[in-house]
Amino acid sequence: MIEMDAIFFLLPIAVALGAVFAILFVIAVKRGQFEDLDDPPERILKD
Amino acid sequence: MSPRTSRKSGNVPVEAEAPPRISRCPHCGTPVEGSEDVFCCSGCEMAAAIIRSAGLDSYYLQREAFPPRPEGGGGDWDAVPLAVREDGMAEIRLQVDGLRCASCVWVTENVLQRTEGVEEVTLSYATGRARVRWDPERLKLSEVAGRISTLGYRPRILGEEGAPDTDLLVRLGVSAFAAANIMMLSAALYTGWLGGMHPRYVALFQWISLALAAPVAIWCAEPFFVAAVSGLRHRVLHMDLPIALGVSVLFVHAAVVTVRGSGDTYLDSMGMLVTLLLAGRVLESRGRRRAAEAATALAATAPATGRRRVGTAVEVVTAEELVPGDLMDVASGEELAADGIVTAGRGSVRMALLTGEAEPVEVGPESRVVAGSVLMEGFLTVRVTAVGRETVLQQMAHQLRLSADRGVKPVFTDRIAPWFTGATLTVAVATFAGWYLAVGMEKALLTSVAVLVVACPCALALSRPLAAAAGLGASARRGLLFRSGDALLEMGAVDVVALDKTGTVTAGDLEVVASDPQALRIASGLERFSSHPIGRAITRAAVDGGIPLPEAEEVREEAGFGISGKVDGREWEIRSGGPGKVVLRGKSGEVWTILLGDRVRADSRSAVEGIMAGGGREVVLITGDVEGIAARMATEAGILEYQAAFTPAMKADWIKARQDEGRTVLFAGDGVNDGPGLARANVGVAMGTGAASSILVADGVISVPSLRPLLAGFSAANAAKRSIRQNQLRSIVYNLGAVTVAAAGLVNPLVAAILMPLSSGMVILGASRVERAVAVETRHAGIPAPGSGRR
Repeated sequence: MIEMDAIFFLLPIAVALGAVFAILFVIAVKRGQFEDLDDPPERILKD
Repeated sequence: MSPRTSRKSGNVPVEAEAPPRISRCPHCGTPVEGSEDVFCCSGCEMAAAIIRSAGLDSYYLQREAFPPRPEGGGGDWDAVPLAVREDGMAEIRLQVDGLRCASCVWVTENVLQRTEGVEEVTLSYATGRARVRWDPERLKLSEVAGRISTLGYRPRILGEEGAPDTDLLVRLGVSAFAAANIMMLSAALYTGWLGGMHPRYVALFQWISLALAAPVAIWCAEPFFVAAVSGLRHRVLHMDLPIALGVSVLFVHAAVVTVRGSGDTYLDSMGMLVTLLLAGRVLESRGRRRAAEAATALAATAPATGRRRVGTAVEVVTAEELVPGDLMDVASGEELAADGIVTAGRGSVRMALLTGEAEPVEVGPESRVVAGSVLMEGFLTVRVTAVGRETVLQQMAHQLRLSADRGVKPVFTDRIAPWFTGATLTVAVATFAGWYLAVGMEKALLTSVAVLVVACPCALALSRPLAAAAGLGASARRGLLFRSGDALLEMGAVDVVALDKTGTVTAGDLEVVASDPQALRIASGLERFSSHPIGRAITRAAVDGGIPLPEAEEVREEAGFGISGKVDGREWEIRSGGPGKVVLRGKSGEVWTILLGDRVRADSRSAVEGIMAGGGREVVLITGDVEGIAARMATEAGILEYQAAFTPAMKADWIKARQDEGRTVLFAGDGVNDGPGLARANVGVAMGTGAASSILVADGVISVPSLRPLLAGFSAANAAKRSIRQNQLRSIVYNLGAVTVAAAGLVNPLVAAILMPLSSGMVILGASRVERAVAVETRHAGIPAPGSGRR
């Protein structure tokens, strides 16, 4: 019975892990990492 | 121009009777007479020296285009107020013009970075915007600006930028995360239908789905609720209404099902719907913001300065520091920093931005002169009467902004939205009523929810933002920047194109109109180093005419009088010969006259022909100039109809009259005097080289000195409209089918989850064809493909 219900705590953990990445994305947006998507790729070629 | 032109190339031998060899200036590539390593001007020599001393020689091997010839910076940069931070560093934002390739950006950035006192520089490859942080104690701002302008690029001050809209992006991220997880759980639930699933797990999956969906329905979808409610308040059935309705019905339905523990939910469809719609909005707002920013950057200016007389001395001050009563010296080639009355001196003044007339006006003592006009020749002392906001130019610009704010233009309205919304609601209600009477409450609720799900106009609502974003991008890459998608779409309906003359159809700048090639060669040798507008026009004409610049010696330039020196070992002098004329005299008696004036742009005729092609649009030249000149310029530009001697108000009235006839008018102009017309027209397009205030009231800005981007604009507008229409048609056909099936009670959550992305995918494919359609059409019209020219 107990091993059958592994999903009851594995699923919330999986969703929580996903949420961590969603939060990281939000932080990245707030720090302005998505404001300029054109320059960094060109910069790599020049440096 | 061949790529990788190093300093050793371009050694083209000339015909036998011309002994001087022709080479190219190692820096800017201008052909000059003489052996290798001869720079065309001291500016290029200095630029090359700076690049070499910074150890950036590889620039000459890597560049794909020649830089512009350095012309020296205008304005007094040290008078710009600096924001010094706590650590003693100052920071400023600049717009750098003339950057033609990635190497230009690289060399500029690195030269600045290696300047002592500069802490950090970032220069954007895409927009040409720089952010410089430096130590003002060790380096003056004028030195920073000087480094840039010595390289041949032109820096201008930019104001602080507004915080970009990250809100939509965060919503999109959250909603995408939630939707993906819900979909995963739903997939498990769907498989559960086949094999049978213990209710315990079904409940677990549904509860987690509901928890994930809550922020999507409540927070991520908020913009749709806001728009739907405000639409209702204005008694409009907005496209966002069925979306808001769908989202709330789906979420409430799922909550009820989950709590009761029986039935299926549509939360995966809801998550996908919100995510796709938000993605469309993000794309549209990105395209719009980029175009609007580029247009605002064109309106940025270099700081204006004046030379104030204090007793017998002269000091340089900013325009703001001047006060009425001051005496201000103005030399030939300079721009006036304030309004005033001439107290001494004579000269000719050009007021093109203000009056629209390119021809200089003669002024002398007691003449009134205004800020923003340029002294073409002579020397003036002016008593300042008005400064800053009180000047005629600023007053007009202010009036313009007021009138632009008041008149809200009709925008491209979606006629389908209210019809569609109404139909959806009717069908949903009818379905509910029908099933309620036939079977009962339970079945009626389920079917009407299914109807709302499949009828949710995801594809319909996506078609416009996606097509508009694609159209904005396609048009911007070809030189026409639009502030909004509405303006672009409106352009597709235009059937009258009114063009201003000066600065729009014509170059609006002094150009050599007529000259003997030999005279032009000698004159360009003398004027090679001059920064005066006339000198620049002569050098430009020689370079454009393929005349290599000869070497000159003992050149002396006297402000207000002229220039003299030796070319080919003989003495020559250039003097003014009255308005629009200079006279070149040789010691041995040769006299040549070079005529200067405004000229129709070389590519205006082809642009006009392109606009009229297909017969749908009529082109009219509108000018404040006299009949004769208007007729001549119209003929030269291939324009059949013209209106002469129009005041700014008459231009706006004429546009209004055409609109009253039911026509849709596009007006392109460049001066402050074109402002009322730009604000009045259905689509106002300003020239990026024109007055800042005209750029601010216009719907679109042409960022290159040409009318050809208008063709790209028409093509982008038509492609975007076509894409919208096709997508609307497709999604309506899809919806009709899907709603019929749903109303019959045959749709379950799995069917909905498969149907929805199908219709949205169709729309995304349709919008992606806009760029390709514009590329094909403009290639036929000979407009250079994007990427070959950089702002």
